[in-house]
Amino acid sequence: MIKRDKIRRIFSKTFAIAEKNVSIQIRFKYYMLWRWFLPVITLLMPIILLGKFLEYSTSIGPWTPQNYMIFVFTGYSIMIMTSMIDYIPKSLTQEKYWKTLPALMTAPFNRFYLLFGYIISEFIGILIPFSAFLIVILIFFPISILTLIVIILMFLGMGIIFSGFGLFLGVFSISNENFLYVFNILVRIIFWFSCISYPFQLFPEPIQSIINLNPIYYLIDIIRLTWLENNIIVTFLSHPIHVSIFIGSSLIFPIICVYVFNIIYKKLGITGY
Amino acid sequence: MSNKIIETFNLSKDYNLKGKKVVRALDDVSIQINEGEKFGLLGPNGAGKTTLISILSTLIQPSSGYAIIDGDHIIKNANKIRNKIALMLGNDMIYYRITGYTNLKFFCKVYGIKDYKEKIIKIAEEFGIEKWLNEYVERYSAGMKCKLTLCRILLSNPKILFLDEPTLGLDIKTTNFIIEKLKESDKTVFISSHNMDVIEKLCNRIAFINLSKIIKMGSKDEISKLLQKRIRIFIGIIENKKKLRYDLEQEDFITSVIDKENGLEIELLERNNYNRLFSIFQKYEIIKIQEIDLSVEDLFLELV
Repeated sequence: MIKRDKIRRIFSKTFAIAEKNVSIQIRFKYYMLWRWFLPVITLLMPIILLGKFLEYSTSIGPWTPQNYMIFVFTGYSIMIMTSMIDYIPKSLTQEKYWKTLPALMTAPFNRFYLLFGYIISEFIGILIPFSAFLIVILIFFPISILTLIVIILMFLGMGIIFSGFGLFLGVFSISNENFLYVFNILVRIIFWFSCISYPFQLFPEPIQSIINLNPIYYLIDIIRLTWLENNIIVTFLSHPIHVSIFIGSSLIFPIICVYVFNIIYKKLGITGY
Repeated sequence: MSNKIIETFNLSKDYNLKGKKVVRALDDVSIQINEGEKFGLLGPNGAGKTTLISILSTLIQPSSGYAIIDGDHIIKNANKIRNKIALMLGNDMIYYRITGYTNLKFFCKVYGIKDYKEKIIKIAEEFGIEKWLNEYVERYSAGMKCKLTLCRILLSNPKILFLDEPTLGLDIKTTNFIIEKLKESDKTVFISSHNMDVIEKLCNRIAFINLSKIIKMGSKDEISKLLQKRIRIFIGIIENKKKLRYDLEQEDFITSVIDKENGLEIELLERNNYNRLFSIFQKYEIIKIQEIDLSVEDLFLELV
C-alpha cells in the first residue's frame, strides 16, 4: 500500500513537471511549429542532394535510392530530439530569471523527476511530427511490429540520453551561462561527427576514424540498422558494440547526469537572478 | 519553554569574484528563532539578507558554520527541511506563461498535496483572487502576483515561511492585507525587508544586519525600549532661533540639533533631562513643544 502510494507520488510529480513544461511551450503556439519545421529545413538540402546523387550511384554503403528515406527519417527524428540538449539548460536558465527555479530547488523534489518530466514533455512536443513521419516511412518501408516497438524504445532511450546531457549542461548554465555555449560548441562537434544525415561511407578515411570513436554515431546507427535488417535477433547479434553502447548509455547516463547535477548544484548553486 | 525552530551557528558565506577576490556576504551569523515567531531581518541593500534566507531555505550552502531547522541539519538533511519550509524571493515566484490555477496545481503536485482542487479554490477565495485563477499570470497586477505566490507557499502547509522582500513594489492596501494574513497564521515567519513599516507591524523579534553581520537583535519590546531611551522633540520658535540653537548645542545631554521650518528638532539622551531643557527655554519665547515618536526606521538609520 505504501509502495503504491509512493509510486503514485513519483508519477504525479514527474507528470507535473511535464504538464507544466507543455503548458509553457504551447503558450506561444508558433514556437512548436518552429521546432518541428527547423529540422525539415535543415534536412531538406541533404535529402535533395542525396536523392540526386543516388540516382547516378546505385548505393553509398547501406544507403540506396530505395531506403535512403529511412536515413532521412532517423536523421529528422534525432535532430528534433537534439533540441532536448538545448531545451533543458535554456529552460532552467529561463526559470532562474523567473525565480521559479529556486522554488523548485527548495521543494521536496528528486532530480530524477525533473529529468523524466522533461523527457515526457519533450516527447509530447515532438509526438505529432515524429508520428507523421514514422507513418509515411512505414508505408514505403514496412517493418514488423516487434521491430517497430524496438525502434520506438530506441528513440525513447535516445531521448533519455539527450535529456541527461541537457540536465548536465543545465546545472552549469544556471551558475554561469557561458558554460552553456562552450559545451554547446562541443555538442555540435560531436554531432557533426555522428552521421545524422550523411552516410558514413561518404566521409574520407581520417574522418571515418574519428566517427568510429564517437559513441553518438553508434546510437544513431543502430536505429537505422534495426530498421534496415528488420530482424531484432540478427541485428543484436551482429552489432554487439552498437547494442552495448546503446543499452549502457540509456541506463547509466541518466544516473550519472543526475548525480553530477546534484554535486555541481551543491558546489555552484544558482547565481545571477 | 519555547521551542527553537531555527538555530544558526556561526554561518558565513563567501562569494568568489573576478580576479580571485573573495567577498564575505555573511559573517558569523548566530541566531535563534522560536516556533511561531515572526522574525524580521532589516538591512540595507547588499547587507546579506537574501544570502541568509537562501542558506536557511537550502537554496545555497554556507561556506562555514551550520544551521538547524526544526531539528534537521541544513546540509545533512536538506531534503527533510524542504518538506517543512516555503521560500518566497521577491513577490512573484510563479510562472507567468500559465494560469494561476495551473501554477497552484503544479506546486500542489510537486509537494504531493492531496485533494488540491478544493484547497486551491479555498485559499484563492481567502486571498480574493478566485476570479483570476483561470487567467494567465502575465495579466495579473503586482499585488495579485504576490497574493498568488503567497497562496502557492501556504498551500503546502509549511512550518516556516522564508520571505525575502515580499512587499516590494506593492501599494499600502495590498501590503497591509499581506501583513494581516501573515499575522493571522500560526507559522514561523522569517521575513527580510528594508521596509521598516512591514517589519514593525508584523514581527515580534527584529534583527538588524549590515555589512554581512547582525549588528542588533531583540524583541519588539526591547527595540522599543531602546527607542524610548532617546527622545526627539520639536521646539517651535520664530524669534532668536539661531541663539537658541547655539545654547542647545553647548549642552552635553543634547545629542543633535536640526533646523526645521519654524523651529528646531533636538534629541535628548535621557528623559530625566527634561528639567534642564526647560531651564534653557525660560529665556525664549517658545510657541510649541512636541515629542516625536521614534520609529524602528530611526534606529535602523542610526545603526547602519
